Amino acid sequence: MSEYSDDTLSVDKPADESPDNTPFEEQESSPSKSSQLSKAGLVSTLAAATAACGGGGSSDSGGSIISGIMGGTPAPTVVKPETDAEAARFLLHASISASPGEIAAVRDRGFEPWLDQQMNARNAQSAQDFIAAQGMDDVTSTDFVFNRGVADLMVWSQLLSGANPVRARAALALSEFFVVSTNTSSNLWPGSAMGAYWDILSDNAFGNFRDLIEEISLNPAMGVFLNTRGNQKADPRTGRVPDENYGREVMQLFSIGLFELNNDGTRRTSGGEPIETYTNEDVTGISKVFTGYDFDATGVTFTAAPDGGNYQIPDPSYLRNPMTADTSRWRFPRNESFHSDDAKTFLGTTIPAGTGAAESMRLAMDALFNHPNVGPFFGKQMIQRLVTSNPSPAYVGRVADAFNNNGSGTRGDLRAVFKAILLDDEAQSAAGLTDTTYGKVREPMLRFAQWARTSGLNSDSGFFLLGNLSDAANRLGQAPLRSPSVFNFFRPGYSPAGTQSADMGLVAPEFQIVNETSVAGYVNFMERSIDGGGFWMRDFTANYSAELGIAHDSTALLDRIDLLYTGGQLTEGSRTKILNALNDYTVMESSDEATKLERIHAAILLVMASNEYIVQR
Amino acid sequence: MFIGKADELSRRAFMRRSGQLAALGAGSSYALGLAGMSEAAAFSSAGGYKALVCIFLYGGNDYGNTLIPFDPTNYNRYASIRGGNGDEGGGIALSRASLAGSVLNQPDTQTLTDDIQYALAPSMPRLKSRFDGGQMAPLLNVGPLVVPLTKAQYESGNNSSFPRPAKLFSHNDQQSTWQSSQPEGSTSGWGGRMGDLALSSNTNSMFTAINASGNAVFMNGETAVPYQVSTGGATLIRGVNNTRLYGSVATSEALESLLTTSHGHFLEADYSMVNARSIEYGGFVNDALENSTLSTDFGSGNRLASQLSVVARLIAARNRLGVNRQVFMVSMGGFDNHDGLIGTHEGLLSQLDAAMDAFYSATEEMGIADQVTSFTASDFGRTLASNGDGSDHGWGGHHFVMGGGVNGGQFYGTAPQVSLDSDDQVGRGRLLPTVSVDEYSATLAKWFGVSASEMPSISPNIGRFASPDLGFMAPPG
Repeated sequence: MSEYSDDTLSVDKPADESPDNTPFEEQESSPSKSSQLSKAGLVSTLAAATAACGGGGSSDSGGSIISGIMGGTPAPTVVKPETDAEAARFLLHASISASPGEIAAVRDRGFEPWLDQQMNARNAQSAQDFIAAQGMDDVTSTDFVFNRGVADLMVWSQLLSGANPVRARAALALSEFFVVSTNTSSNLWPGSAMGAYWDILSDNAFGNFRDLIEEISLNPAMGVFLNTRGNQKADPRTGRVPDENYGREVMQLFSIGLFELNNDGTRRTSGGEPIETYTNEDVTGISKVFTGYDFDATGVTFTAAPDGGNYQIPDPSYLRNPMTADTSRWRFPRNESFHSDDAKTFLGTTIPAGTGAAESMRLAMDALFNHPNVGPFFGKQMIQRLVTSNPSPAYVGRVADAFNNNGSGTRGDLRAVFKAILLDDEAQSAAGLTDTTYGKVREPMLRFAQWARTSGLNSDSGFFLLGNLSDAANRLGQAPLRSPSVFNFFRPGYSPAGTQSADMGLVAPEFQIVNETSVAGYVNFMERSIDGGGFWMRDFTANYSAELGIAHDSTALLDRIDLLYTGGQLTEGSRTKILNALNDYTVMESSDEATKLERIHAAILLVMASNEYIVQR
Repeated sequence: MFIGKADELSRRAFMRRSGQLAALGAGSSYALGLAGMSEAAAFSSAGGYKALVCIFLYGGNDYGNTLIPFDPTNYNRYASIRGGNGDEGGGIALSRASLAGSVLNQPDTQTLTDDIQYALAPSMPRLKSRFDGGQMAPLLNVGPLVVPLTKAQYESGNNSSFPRPAKLFSHNDQQSTWQSSQPEGSTSGWGGRMGDLALSSNTNSMFTAINASGNAVFMNGETAVPYQVSTGGATLIRGVNNTRLYGSVATSEALESLLTTSHGHFLEADYSMVNARSIEYGGFVNDALENSTLSTDFGSGNRLASQLSVVARLIAARNRLGVNRQVFMVSMGGFDNHDGLIGTHEGLLSQLDAAMDAFYSATEEMGIADQVTSFTASDFGRTLASNGDGSDHGWGGHHFVMGGGVNGGQFYGTAPQVSLDSDDQVGRGRLLPTVSVDEYSATLAKWFGVSASEMPSISPNIGRFASPDLGFMAPPG
C-alpha cells in the first residue's frame, strides 16, 4: 500500500479494479436494485428503532467546559444572532447546511448553547451501524469484501443524513488533516476499514487530541495506508530497517509540521531562517516506535470465501480493533516480538532500549502531543477548513490558546478548539463580509452535501448509492475520504500562481483542485443533480416541497435559496440576474409541479454557480 | 506550509498579466491571442514546432528496481542489500534471470562506475527497444541540488557554506523542488517559466502550457497560465452552450454571466477567471481535437497513456491551436512503495513503458518525432536498503528522456556505486545526486530554444554547475 495512489491503477491487487466503482454500478457484481430495496426496507426499520433509542445523546460534558471557562461565575448573556442571515452564516461554518428550523433554533437558543447541544449529541448512526444495517458486512456475499465503493456509501450516508451534521462536519475536517484514503485502504473490507476510521474521527471530534492521535495511529486502515501494519524492527542479517513512512508523516502532517511555530502560527526564526522541527535522524528514531504491529485477530471468525476461492475471509471486526504488538493476538501467533528493542531517539526524547511497544507508543504520542507546535499547526488548518483560508495570526493564537488550555487546565480539548474557531469574532463579525481577502472557496464535496441536505435528499434504497465522485470532468471533482494522497486534496499553503490572490500573498488551498476542467465538471454535475437527471441520482429523491409552495413568487423563492445557501450574501447584481432568469418562466400558484420545478432548479443552480456562493464568507 | 509574500518577479508578472488580461476582459476572444508578452531575444523559436512533455511519477520512484545492475559483481551487491538470495532474487530484489531480456548495452566507449552493466526493469521491454534504437537515454542519479555537494559537506551540517535543498525526503516539498527549485509554496516552475519565454512564439499563447494532469507548480510561469484538459479533451459547461438550460435561454445566459462575474473579492475574481477560461477556450480546443486524427493505439486501462493520448492529439492540432512551442505535463501516482514493492512497482513501470512508447509512436506518425521530447521526473529516489518489502524516501534517482531529438542508446550522468556506505549516498542508499535538476532542465531548455543569457530564469542554480548542457539532446536545428 502506498500513501501516493492513483485510484485507477490498483495494481496491487487485480481484484480491486472493479470495486472502485460503487458496488452497484457493475451489473455483474451486484444484486439487483429490487433485492436491495427489500433488504433495505427490512433493516431500515431496525435502524430507525435503534436511532430512536440511542439518538438522544448525552449531555454530560458540556457544562463542565463552560463553567470551567467562566470560573464558576453565573453564565453571561447568551449571544444570539440578530438576523436569519447571521444564523445561517454561522450554521454554514459549523454544520453542513442550514434549514429554516435550524436557523430558528440558533436564533432562539443562541450560538453557544446551540453548539453545545450539537456537540453533546452522539452520532445517532455510526458508520459501523450503517454498514451492518445495510448488510454490507456479510461474509457470505461476494459484494462487499473487496469493495471500495462501500466506503463511499458509508461516508455519504454520514454526510447527507442523520441528526448530527455538526459532528459530521468536524469529522470531515479532521479527515482532511488525519488523511487516510479509500483509494489505497485495506484490500479486505475497505468499507468497514474506512468506517472504523470515520467512527474514530466522529467519536473523538469533540474529545481530546491525545486520544485521537493514538487511536488513529493504531487504527488498521491507517496501519495499512501508512505501513505501520507489518512494520518490523531492524534485522542486521538481512539489512532490513524499519519502515519510515508513518514516523515521518505523523510528525510532518498529523502533529507538529516542518517548522517551529509561534503560538499564533507564524514561523519562529533563527538568524532570519525558519527552524526545522526535525531531521531525518528523528524520522529514523521515531520510526522504531511503530514496529511490531499487526491486526488483532482476537475473537475474529473465519468463513470460507464466498466466491469459492481457496481462502478464508475474516469477519470485519478486526478492523475496529487497535493493531497490536502482542504477537499472541495475531492471526498467526508468534513467540518473538517484532517491536524494536533499540533506544528510540527523536525530538529530544529518548525512549530507553528495551522499552515495550505500548509504553513506547505512549511516550511517543505524549512527546508529539506536548510539542508547542500542535495547537497552532492543527488549529490553523481547522480554521482554514471551517472558516477562512487566511486567518489573522491573532485568530490562530486564540484557537491555539484554546488547544493549550480549555480553561480548566486541559490540553488538546477539541470541543474547546472547535468552539474557539466557530465563535471567534473573526468568524462572526460583519467585517468579514466586506473584506476582500476573507473566506475560502467552498469544497466541491461540501457544496454537494449542502445541496443534498437542504433539499432533503433521500436515498430510496437506504444504501446512499453515490459512487466515487472524484472524477473532475464527469463528476464532482472531489469525494470524501478519497484524497489522492496523505497530503489531502490540497495543501494548506497552496497559492494559485498567476492570480490576484497569490499577488496579495494569500493562500487558497482549495484552488489546488480548481481548473478549467473541474469548474465545468462541477456546474454540469450540479445541473443534473438538482433536476435528478444524472444517472448517479437514480437512488435519490429530492424534496422541494418548501420551494414548490413559493415557486410562483420569484423573489420569495430567491430569498429562501439565497439565505439557505449563502447566508444571504448574494450581491444585488447577481440577484437581479437570477430574478431576470426566474421571471423568464411563467409560473402561477396553480401551475403544475413540473412547471414550478423548472424555476426551482434554475434558482438553485444559478445561486450555486455564482461566485458569492463559491467563496464562503 | 506558508506561502511567502509574492516576490518582485511575480509582482512584475502580475502587473503585466492583470493589465493585459483585465483589459481584454472575461469576454475576450481566443482569437486575439496574447502575443508579444515576452522578450524575443531570450528565446529562439527557430526550427519549427517543438514540445516538451514532463511525465511526473508521484510518490518517489524506486531507482533500485528501475535500472538494475546486471553484471554478476554488482548484481550480487544489489541482491545482498535488497534481501535477495543470490541470483534468485527475493526480498525486494528482482531475480537476475528476469533481467536478461532487458539489458541495456551502451556503446563500447562508455564505461560506468565499477563496470556496472544495467538492465531495465523487466516490465519495460519497449523502452529497452527505444534505448537500442537510440531514441531513449537514461540520466543517472539526478536530483535537486543547490550547489555540487560531497557527502562530507552534506554531513557537516554547515548549511551556509554547503547549502542543500530544503526539506529533503518530504514528498510535497521535493515534488515542488523538482518542479520549481523551491519547497512547497513556490509559485512558478521551470515548465511554466519556459512557457513565459515561448508565449510570443505562439499565435494563441494561452495554449503554450497545457496540463493533462492535476494542478502542479511545474506548469505555472510568471506570466504563462497553464490550461487544463481532461483525457477526453476540454470539459464544456453544458448550460452555457447557447442552449436552453432547464428550458430557458435566459437561464443559460444568466449562468454564463454569473460564472464570469466577481465582486471585488480576490478569491471570487480568481475563480471567475478560471470559469471564463473554461468557457472561452473549451469549444475551440475540442473543435481542433475533432479535426485531428491519430491512429496510434494508446491501449486502454492505462491512465498515463490516456493523458499522453490527449497530449498527442493536441500536438496533432497544433496548427489549428496556433502554437509553435508548447510545454505539457502528465503524471501517474502510486510510486510510494513503502511496502509491496515487488509486483506493484513493476506494474507501474509497465504502464509507464507502454505509455511512453505509444506517445513516441504517435510523434513518429505525425512526422515530428525530432520535435517532441518527453522526460520523467519524480519526488525523489528511494533507499536501496529494504524495510522488509519496500523502500523509503531518498534523494537522487534515475530518469528517462525520450524523443527523436535525444542522443539515446547511452547513459548520461554518473552511475552510483551499489552500496550503503559509499560517498555517493547519504545512508541506506539514499543517493547524493551527481547531476542536478538544474542541469537536467537547462539541457532541455536549451533544446527548446532558451538562450544562455536567460537560462538562470529557468534553472536558477545553473551557474554553480559544470554542465549547462548534459549532451543528451541533439543540437537545436
